[in-house]
Amino acid sequence: MSLVAEAFVSQIAAAEPWPENATLYQQLKGEQILLSDNAASLAVQAFLQMCNLPIKVVCRANAEYMSPSGKVPFIHVGNQVVSELGPIVQFVKAKGHSLSDGLDEVQKAEMKAYMELVNNMLLTAELYLQWCDETTVGEITHARYGSPYPWPLNHILAYQKQWEVKRKMKAIGWGNKTLDQVLEDVDQCCQALSQRLGTQPYFFNKQPTELDALVFGHLYTILTTQLTNDELSEKVKNYSNLLAFCRRIEQHYFEDRGKGSSSIRSS
Amino acid sequence: MPLSWLTTPGRRRGAGSKHNALWKTCGSGDPPAARAPGRAPRGPGPAQAACRAARNPRAGPGAQDPLELFCWSGGWGLPSVDLDSLTVLTYARFTGAPLKVHKVTNPWQSPSGTLPALRTGHGEVISVPHKIITHLRKEKYNADYDLSARQGADTLAFMSLLEEKLLPVLIHTFWVDTKNYVEVTRKWYAEAMPFPLNFFLPGRMQRQFMERLQLLCGEHGPENEEELEKELYQEARECLTLLSQRLGSQKFFFGDAPASLDAYVFGYLALLLQAKLPSGKLQAHLRGLHNLCAYCTHILSLYFPWDGAEGPPPRQTPVGPETEEEPYRRRNQVLSVLAGLAAMVGYALLSGIVSIQRTTPARAPGTRSLSMAEEDEEE
Repeated sequence: MSLVAEAFVSQIAAAEPWPENATLYQQLKGEQILLSDNAASLAVQAFLQMCNLPIKVVCRANAEYMSPSGKVPFIHVGNQVVSELGPIVQFVKAKGHSLSDGLDEVQKAEMKAYMELVNNMLLTAELYLQWCDETTVGEITHARYGSPYPWPLNHILAYQKQWEVKRKMKAIGWGNKTLDQVLEDVDQCCQALSQRLGTQPYFFNKQPTELDALVFGHLYTILTTQLTNDELSEKVKNYSNLLAFCRRIEQHYFEDRGKGSSSIRSS
Repeated sequence: MPLSWLTTPGRRRGAGSKHNALWKTCGSGDPPAARAPGRAPRGPGPAQAACRAARNPRAGPGAQDPLELFCWSGGWGLPSVDLDSLTVLTYARFTGAPLKVHKVTNPWQSPSGTLPALRTGHGEVISVPHKIITHLRKEKYNADYDLSARQGADTLAFMSLLEEKLLPVLIHTFWVDTKNYVEVTRKWYAEAMPFPLNFFLPGRMQRQFMERLQLLCGEHGPENEEELEKELYQEARECLTLLSQRLGSQKFFFGDAPASLDAYVFGYLALLLQAKLPSGKLQAHLRGLHNLCAYCTHILSLYFPWDGAEGPPPRQTPVGPETEEEPYRRRNQVLSVLAGLAAMVGYALLSGIVSIQRTTPARAPGTRSLSMAEEDEEE
């Protein structure tokens, strides 16, 4: 979002309270959505639950194209559309709800840094696994990504997306990595998160923040998604405090609320 | 050993090579200028004390096959003008790793074709910066030895923050912003690189960087160039403020001794601060963050004291060989001018454009006027 548009949106956002019919759009859960998109969507859902804001999840096959930035998920609130966790957090803040107000400056810096760590390592590893690992691509990704479209569009779109992702991987230096190295990086990232979490219930002690939502989104998706092999989820399972963390958030914010509109058990 | 003669610029470095052994113990891979010989282990007193590592179980100085590091040479008051090279050099200084540093201006001279590159004792070549640092760590030159687990996690997190927020802006500032590129970056690279690389290599590097930036930021859906730029700089300013808050009033990020995170942060900050950029929007913001500026100057003065003092070495090095060749050059110039003149005069005489008159000896004045009149008629 450009700065001017952002300021404008914040102004408008501040004016209205959170409506009851706010919706979150993502791809089709059963057949289409991929690991990385599912993680992002879950992170946003967790964040909104933590803020106690009601949201309805709607699945559409063309969610990616509806989104203003091309990324899912996006939320439709009032007459505004905001996509991706970062802008959504700011949007929600403009409406007066924030999870990170109680943090001091140093903690805010750390929170932003850890969010970047998750984006940099976990998200990129997920993308790598989905689009650059041939077995996964062949067995899962191509089929899922193109499933709503007729032949030959499904193949064309899938190959196009794969080419885009591969280009990006090369630009950031992941193009030459092997799967083992990527898993190694995931392990390092999980180790860092685990060490930061320690024995606390949330990353910044008593209250969850957007960092907790983001980490939960990614880890939970990794743990519960069935891929060609279990190596990725094994890496996460090595850290018991992360498992406990996921369980805690799931129980607290998803099972207790009784909002059965979206079950978060991924396919 | 002979390699350092060829690649390290200026005679001083070559002469300094025999001081390698002395400097290896002192924890610097870079033999200093010729004024060093008399001086004992230079002030790495503070550096050694402040330096966390070199828990080196190996035997004394220069025992093993040395690690060789090829990196871009220095400029703008810095030991190196390239971000990755600067980071690796700084880390090596922090840990006192005995690296033989080859400062080159020609990437084709490096064993992997890119800079920086580390050639290990086994002949293996590593060219990804964080892998170089990992290798140094494995060789027991570990600046993160004393960090707690949580601090190690923080290191990873902040490194990701730097890469996501500051790196695009750094690339933009030095390679995409037209004024900066033409007046600072391209000028340095074109002057430093040997003929004929200086004609096409800077342009090629610029294209590569622009593509990288495009791929890094293209996904944010830029409406147009200016807005994307504003957004990038906004995020970078936020990032710098965050770093400043995290550093607080400490000397280094994790207390009193430098760690690998300090090497990374220093790389970014030093480039932004030291280069004299005509359009330095981020520079202005950075200068406002006093603790970061003090941090930068502190590291520069402690670990790279002579590089800052020397001024811009690449400008000196072309002058060096030039002054040696100067007498020959002047002589050649004079000779060529004379040869040109001689050729022109000879051609003029031979083709009759100019002719030399043989004057007859003087007769009586009366008859002279007649003979002169005759001569005039003859002509």
